[in-house]
Amino acid sequence: MSTLLTHIAISDGKIKRSSLEVLSHMRQLAEANGHTAEAVIIDAEASNYVDEVKKYGPSTIYTVEDPIFENHMNTPLLKALSKVMDEADPYIVGFGSTESTKDILGALAANQDAAVLSDVSEFELTDAGIKAKRPVMAAKILSDNIAEGDTILVSVRSGSYDLDEADAEANIVDIDFSIDDSDVQATLREIIGASGDKIDLAEAETIVAAGRGAKDEEGQDLINELAAVLNAGIGASRALTEAGIMDPSLQIGQTGKVVSPQLYIAVGISGAIQHVAGMTNSKVIVAINKDPDAPIFDIADYGIVGDLYKVLPPFIEELKKIKG
Amino acid sequence: MKFYVCIKQVPDVDAPIQIKDGELIQDTDRMVLNAYDASAVEEALVLKEEHGGEVEVVLVGPEKAQETIRKALAMGADKATHIATNGDTDYDSATYANILATFFSDKEYDVISCGKQSQDTDAGLAGSMLAEHLDLPYTTNAVGLEAEENTLVVKRQGDAGQEIIGLPTPCLVTCSNDMNEPRIPSLKGIMQSKRKPVESIDVGDLDIDESKLQPKTKVTGHMEKPEREPGQKFEGEAEELAQKVATLLDEEENVI
Ligand SMILES: Cc1cc2nc3c(=O)[nH]c(=O)nc-3n(C[C@H](O)[C@H](O)[C@H](O)COP(=O)(O)OP(=O)(O)OC[C@H]3O[C@@H](n4cnc5c(N)ncnc54)[C@H](O)[C@@H]3O)c2cc1C
Repeated sequence: MSTLLTHIAISDGKIKRSSLEVLSHMRQLAEANGHTAEAVIIDAEASNYVDEVKKYGPSTIYTVEDPIFENHMNTPLLKALSKVMDEADPYIVGFGSTESTKDILGALAANQDAAVLSDVSEFELTDAGIKAKRPVMAAKILSDNIAEGDTILVSVRSGSYDLDEADAEANIVDIDFSIDDSDVQATLREIIGASGDKIDLAEAETIVAAGRGAKDEEGQDLINELAAVLNAGIGASRALTEAGIMDPSLQIGQTGKVVSPQLYIAVGISGAIQHVAGMTNSKVIVAINKDPDAPIFDIADYGIVGDLYKVLPPFIEELKKIKG
Repeated sequence: MKFYVCIKQVPDVDAPIQIKDGELIQDTDRMVLNAYDASAVEEALVLKEEHGGEVEVVLVGPEKAQETIRKALAMGADKATHIATNGDTDYDSATYANILATFFSDKEYDVISCGKQSQDTDAGLAGSMLAEHLDLPYTTNAVGLEAEENTLVVKRQGDAGQEIIGLPTPCLVTCSNDMNEPRIPSLKGIMQSKRKPVESIDVGDLDIDESKLQPKTKVTGHMEKPEREPGQKFEGEAEELAQKVATLLDEEENVI
């Protein structure tokens, strides 16, 4: 019997959904293979999140609580994870593929002499390790990978697995942690936009993406309103970032961000292959476009053929009602 | 400031991709400097222009990768080291990091930088692995760099916003391609690059344990991504459509 340990990432006072998706999958793997699923929460107020994590059925939850974890810093997080790994002796450690994870995954693997696969879209256990699929070549194709060894780290793209609750009593283990100031050479000077007003597209559960069809002020207002109702991140096609209407960091696609939200609403976007490369992993895609032959409809789960200026106002009203 | 920029030669992801019996057929005529590494080179050149110093690129790769080294030199890097691998290698991020760590073990530098990931594998692991091996303060996913006395100030994209991090030198940073528009080599740059020094070392000549060259992960095949099927398309009166789709998203898909 081995331990499958999931790291629960916290950002801006919230558990990252992607880590609960990983925990759900790890628990199912543990059940199917006679292993145990455990979780670790590392945060300034780690104990606040225990009840929520319990719902996903880990048998043990490790907490590492220290004020240093109030903001992301790689050295303390690395040291804490190494300490928990020494304690839990896990076979697999699973992570949601967040920016904080990306910041430490390689270093942790080197530190623990572990095999590691990053940003996988699915994985399973084998006799010798894990087998995983990863999107590669700008997410155009999938590669099959194996990782073998006594310890394997894996980070999983958000949206790869469904949440699966399985309430059980968990054993809570507080790990004693302290770190010398001199061990942390990097200094965090400032965080810009940490108030939560800017939603990280790579992790966003819902994204409203604007294309050339919504390039004027009225279109942008409607996009902002739709995003506000859904608490969604705002993305853009290259047509808008190149025109200087939207910030380049919001571009979604081959040369922009690769996203995998639960819901992606493409407004006035034609669906060029370079755009689609970045959003095809979305769970549900809605397209609003006045051209019934727009390629975006070939990949949309729900297509609304119509003028966005006519469709969005009643759509926003309806969503407001539902969100109540 | 002495900058080392680790660069890699990768297939052009815009070239047509073919898969035959699970193997990726790469057009070896369309190999390029990894776009994220190009941003790291650009940023190092900008800092050198502001503060003086030297930019050296380091590449681990086969003979053919020389052309990528020339590209970086033509952009303006001062010199290069080519750590030559012979032909086919199935190195993973860890093997690259082990090779580079051995190379850097007796070097002096202020900053080692590299791309945040390789555009073909998108693994994003080698940078922080290298930092851990060299016990350097580091940060990843930089979207802006500035130099102060003995400190590199890095703006990085994090989960909760952009983080401004001060790294005492020597340090390591991995770069996003959001941070700049890498310069296109001028004709003069291309001419000059031919006279710039390129030192070549064979991987076998590095004092590196054979076991460290054994990858722990392997790519066993490639496949096309399953195509998404078109779903339902609605035409008609705007209000009705809006209502219908909102209800479906709420009741059928549960994503609202
Ligand atoms: C190497 C390369 C890389 C690229 N990378 C990216 C990338 O990362 N991301 C990206 O997005 N693009 C990328 N592109 C560009 C891409 O090819 C397209 O040009 C771009 O995606 C088009 O953006 P769009 O759909 O907003 O605009 P358009 O193609 O102009 O489409 C606008 C759509 O809006 C619809 N429309 C107009 N008015 C209305 C209205 N009132 N109501 C409803 N619908 C309306 C139209 O019917 C049309 O379908 C790249 C291109 C190249 C060559």
